[in-house]
Amino acid sequence: MGRKKKKLSKPWCWYCNREFEDEKILIQHQKAKHFKCHICHKKLYTGPGLSIHCMQVHKEAIDKVPNSLSTRSNIEIEIYGMEGIPPEDLKEHEKMKQGKQAGGGGSGGANAANNRAQSPSSGEDEPPPKKKTQDTMMTNPPPGMPPAGMMPQGMMPPHPPYVPPMGPPMMGPGMGPMPSHFMAPGMPPMMGPGGPMGPMPGAPSQQNKPLFPSAAAIATSTTSSAAVGADFKPITSSASIGPVKPTFPAYSGAAAAAGSTPGASSSSASSNSDPPKVNLINTVGASSKIIHPQEDISLEEFRARLPKYHVPEPAPAPAAEATPTAAATPVTTPTPTPTPAPNPTVAVSVAAPVTSTPQPMPAAPERRPMMARFPMALPMSMGQMSQMNQMSQMGQMGQMMPGPPTMLPGPPMMRPALPLHHPAMIGGNMGMMRPPHMGIHPGLLGMPPGAAMGMHHPYAAGPPMFPGPPMITPMMHPRFR
Amino acid sequence: MTVSDTRTEFKLKSPPEDGISSVKFGPNSSQFLLVSSWDNSVTLYDIHANTVRMKYSHERPELPACFQDAVHSFSGGLDKTLKMFDFNSNTETIVGSHDQAIRCIEYSPEVNSILTGSWDSTVKMWDPRTNRLVGNYSQPDKVYTMSLCGEKLVVGTAFRKVFVWDLRNMGYIQQRRESSLKYQTRCIRCFPNKQGYVLSSIEGRVAVEYLDTGAEMQKKKYAFKCHRIKEDGIEKIYPVNAISFHQGYNTFATAGSDGYVNIWDSFNKKRLCQFHRYNTSISSICFSQDGTALAIACSYMYEEETPRDPLPENNVFIRYVTDQETKPK
Repeated sequence: MGRKKKKLSKPWCWYCNREFEDEKILIQHQKAKHFKCHICHKKLYTGPGLSIHCMQVHKEAIDKVPNSLSTRSNIEIEIYGMEGIPPEDLKEHEKMKQGKQAGGGGSGGANAANNRAQSPSSGEDEPPPKKKTQDTMMTNPPPGMPPAGMMPQGMMPPHPPYVPPMGPPMMGPGMGPMPSHFMAPGMPPMMGPGGPMGPMPGAPSQQNKPLFPSAAAIATSTTSSAAVGADFKPITSSASIGPVKPTFPAYSGAAAAAGSTPGASSSSASSNSDPPKVNLINTVGASSKIIHPQEDISLEEFRARLPKYHVPEPAPAPAAEATPTAAATPVTTPTPTPTPAPNPTVAVSVAAPVTSTPQPMPAAPERRPMMARFPMALPMSMGQMSQMNQMSQMGQMGQMMPGPPTMLPGPPMMRPALPLHHPAMIGGNMGMMRPPHMGIHPGLLGMPPGAAMGMHHPYAAGPPMFPGPPMITPMMHPRFR
Repeated sequence: MTVSDTRTEFKLKSPPEDGISSVKFGPNSSQFLLVSSWDNSVTLYDIHANTVRMKYSHERPELPACFQDAVHSFSGGLDKTLKMFDFNSNTETIVGSHDQAIRCIEYSPEVNSILTGSWDSTVKMWDPRTNRLVGNYSQPDKVYTMSLCGEKLVVGTAFRKVFVWDLRNMGYIQQRRESSLKYQTRCIRCFPNKQGYVLSSIEGRVAVEYLDTGAEMQKKKYAFKCHRIKEDGIEKIYPVNAISFHQGYNTFATAGSDGYVNIWDSFNKKRLCQFHRYNTSISSICFSQDGTALAIACSYMYEEETPRDPLPENNVFIRYVTDQETKPK
């Protein structure tokens, strides 16, 4: 009996019932057999550790401990060596050992050997489900899997960065003297006078109506650049003076008037000349960029405007709405090149004059409205045209340009969103319309506009490009002033 | 428990030809998925067999679709028309129309009504038994998203307005709110426990809000950033296009134009997991009713200034999720 006692005290592995001489070796065994990541072979310390590793590093879910008995595969139980084994399993094991000793003597050892023989083949490199579950193992594995809740929480590795609440919670009511950019997160950024509608109970940021309206206005304008909190801009510091000296009529004025003018770059003349109706989304600063069309409409509305989805119906309403947008929305969204083809509308509307040259044709009608809108862009594109040495097309263009837009009722107004085959056009257009946006991305500054736009046009590299840079310079102005 | 041997994810065969606007699982099983697309079609997939079960079309691109029950779907889109389709008889019925495109459709079992939200700034309620218009309720602006919370209807519109209605009494607006996020509202989904909703914006941010207007409850609301990728020193911030709740655990998945799906535990404020990056934007996601499967619609959404060329292909992935990925720790 004394001998048996000794045996009982041997450490054993909960996952595979194997016994070891020493707990150190047991731990080594567990790390190698049960807690090893099948993808990168990293040895973790516990089941939950392994599962979190796989989830976070490889984005794979592991639901079972590798090489474990089917009843002992729970990955949520935290076991390290002999620590953490559910007490009932400990008892069970003890009982079993005693039974074994009394009964079939060596079977335990045989099983262990069995295990040893099989586990290497079943492969540390294999995904967990591969493990042989049923084995020839102990016929009566301990009943009752411990509930998942037993898993201790303390040792979990840190979770991926999680961003704590941003706006409201930060704002103690008594934070008066804080720099006003702290007020920003709660401020309605681009709502004009319409303002907040309902009560936002408990939202301090909404509630604390600015003591100094001008400061609020500044905050509004500032946040647009500091919104993401990437870095505080110099503007912010000047804004923080705001509350003390509300004598920045320029700032408050600009913020109020421009409302949706991106950034604090109120000096961008062109954005002021935008039709007021277009709401742009605020830009977020130089170090970050929202991947979204600039106009504040949903992606679906934006997409619905693509020529591809147009039907030849006299839809005056959307056209009217789109008109200003077409101007300001950058239209930068040239649709993919295949568009002209699936667009029967265009073809129909201009089909009369030129049916023979399908290739350049679709480009023509969409250019026209733009030129009508931006006479300044015209000479440039004319230059471009001549570069193209396509006299016939020239002729068409000449023919079409004077043509009043009424030629194409409604839809053509929205056409500018069509593919822009002309880099120079884009350059011009960009220069005219959206300095703030372009100017903001340093990465784009060095590039010629065509390249920046990612247009792979045969003419992109040619001389027609050079009208670009001069147009860009004014863009840089607000930033490097 | 699902067998983990059939590894967790597969692609639907014969996906729509154009952008996918919404995916929705059927009400009772995780077998059927309703997919609507910009190629004008609404398709019913059998995801067990990975086949197309049924397909019908609209005249214009189709935006939302929803199940009323296992055999009826409602759909609408740019053609402004609400259609009902009966899968048993394979017949379609035009129920009614809006003045502008229909952006979202929900079915409320509580009051047995179909609700449609449109860019014409109204929500209309329809009786699916008679296919009649029950009511027309004007909203502050174009409806972008809406979600049901028991008898409550939460409507998110352009310019960050949020209206909360009570379906039992649509005579007045129960709450007029404004999004606590600074940017355009992209998606709203209500907690299955009906306490509140989650709202996402185009600026990689998600807000957790509570319907109870008491100060206690409102203190608990918060927002967090997500779906942002830092590349070459510039942080790219992506729209969070879709949210879907796990019906059992009150955890939710968000999907963005960055091509990632994240699953969040909003009570412990933890991210439970992130899937691998998909090849393009994710336009819509949906948990099955039993929470074992997540449908993920990948299609390019023209967020970028220069559209990709060639356009990435449109795909629907079905991913079987485990408790580990969806259950609060």
